[in-house]
Amino acid sequence: MEKGGKGFSLPTKTARKSSLKSTTTKQASLKGKDDSSAKSKRAMKVQFDVEGSLGKFETPLPKDSSKWGKGDKTAKGGKGSVSKPPPPLELKIEQELPENVKCMMDCEAADILQGIQDQMTILSKDPEFKLPPSFDRGLLYAKRVDHYTNPPSVRQVLQTLKKYGVSDGEICVIANVCPELVDEVFALVPSLKNKRSKLSEPLKDVLVELAKLKKSTSLESQMKSAEAGNPGNVGGLGVVDL
Amino acid sequence: MFFHIVLERNMQLHPRHFGRNLRENLVSKLMKDVEGTCSGRHGFVVAITGIENVGKGLIRDGTGFVTFPVKYQCVVFRPFKGEILEAVVTMVNKMGFFAEAGPVQIFVSNHLIPDDMEFQSGDMPNYTTSDGSVKIQKDSEVRLKIIGTRVDATEIFCIGTIKDDFLGVINDPAAA
Repeated sequence: MEKGGKGFSLPTKTARKSSLKSTTTKQASLKGKDDSSAKSKRAMKVQFDVEGSLGKFETPLPKDSSKWGKGDKTAKGGKGSVSKPPPPLELKIEQELPENVKCMMDCEAADILQGIQDQMTILSKDPEFKLPPSFDRGLLYAKRVDHYTNPPSVRQVLQTLKKYGVSDGEICVIANVCPELVDEVFALVPSLKNKRSKLSEPLKDVLVELAKLKKSTSLESQMKSAEAGNPGNVGGLGVVDL
Repeated sequence: MFFHIVLERNMQLHPRHFGRNLRENLVSKLMKDVEGTCSGRHGFVVAITGIENVGKGLIRDGTGFVTFPVKYQCVVFRPFKGEILEAVVTMVNKMGFFAEAGPVQIFVSNHLIPDDMEFQSGDMPNYTTSDGSVKIQKDSEVRLKIIGTRVDATEIFCIGTIKDDFLGVINDPAAA
C-alpha cells in the first residue's frame, strides 16, 4: 500500500495499524489530507466487520472517498487494480477471548457432548428438561468433523508444536482441518507462515503421526456396510461409486 | 470452534424451590436459562459440563427471591474470523450458498466462490465447474474460511469464502 492511489484494497487490521502509525511517510503519497484519510479508514473499520480481500464484492466505500484524490477512483474496480494483495486473514483467538478460555478440538468436543447425551437418560427424568437444538446441532457437527480415533493422542502429538510458538487456537485449527500436506497447513493458517523455516520439519512429523490416528476412510466404511447389507455382492465394487 | 470456558451468572430462585433439592433446582434452572443461548463474546452455549462454585444466596429486598452467584463450566461454540470450518450446504441460489456448521449459519457469496464455478438453476440448483468435475449443491460438504461474523440475540451468522487454496468441496453427495 505504498502508493495508495493505485493499490487500494480494504485495509486489514495490520494495514490499518501501519497506516495510522506512519502518517508522515505512507500517507504522504495519498493525495488527500492525512487526517481525513485516516478517518476514512477508521470509518471503514466501523462500517463492516468483514476483512480481507473481497475482490469485486460490492463494498460500501465511504462517500468522502473523493478526498482521497483522483488516484483512488481507479480502486473502485477492485480486483484488476490491486498491485499488492492484502495480507491473508489471520486467526486471533487469544486476543479476543479472556485468558481462562481453553480451545477444544472438534474431536474432544464430540467426546464430551456424546458423554452428556449419554447421561440424558438420567437428566430426562425431569419432564421439563429438554436439551436445546443448538446442542443437537453442535453434537452432530462435532461427530461429523471428528476425524480421529483417539483425541488425547491427537492433543499429545500437537502439543509438540507449542515449543515452536504455535498457539492453542492454531493447534486446534490444524487438528480440525486434518491436513495432509505441510503446504496446506501454511495456506490455511497464515499466521504460521513467518515461522515456516523452523516449523516445516516438525510439522511433517506431526502430520505423519496424525495420519496414523485418523479414523478409517469413508470408502472402507462404505464397503463394510455394503458387505453387511448385500451378502451376495462379492467385493462390493458395484456399490461404491468413485 | 469449540471452547471450554468458565462463566458466572446470578441465578434467582423462588422460595418454592428451597429445601433439600435446592442445589439440583438451581442447576436445572441454570441449564434451562443458559443452554442454547448465544452471546457475541462467547458464542453459543452448547452444553454445561459442570458447576464450579455456588456462592451464598442473597435475599432480595421486598421479595422472597434469592440470588445465587453460580460459576459453571460449559462448552461454547464460537466462530472466528480466519477460522477454517467444514460446513454442510443447506441452500444454493444465484447470490451464493448457505451452509451450516453446528449451530452457526454461514453464507458464501458468489463473489467468494471461484470464478470457474457457475450457477446452474433447476430442481437442484448448484455451482459447477466448466468441466463438471466439481459441484456444490444441497448437502455437499465444503471447507470454508470465515471472513466475517454477525451476532443476533439468538444466533450467529457468518460470511465465508471458498476462494482460497485448499478450500472448497470435500464430499459431493452425488458421488456417494
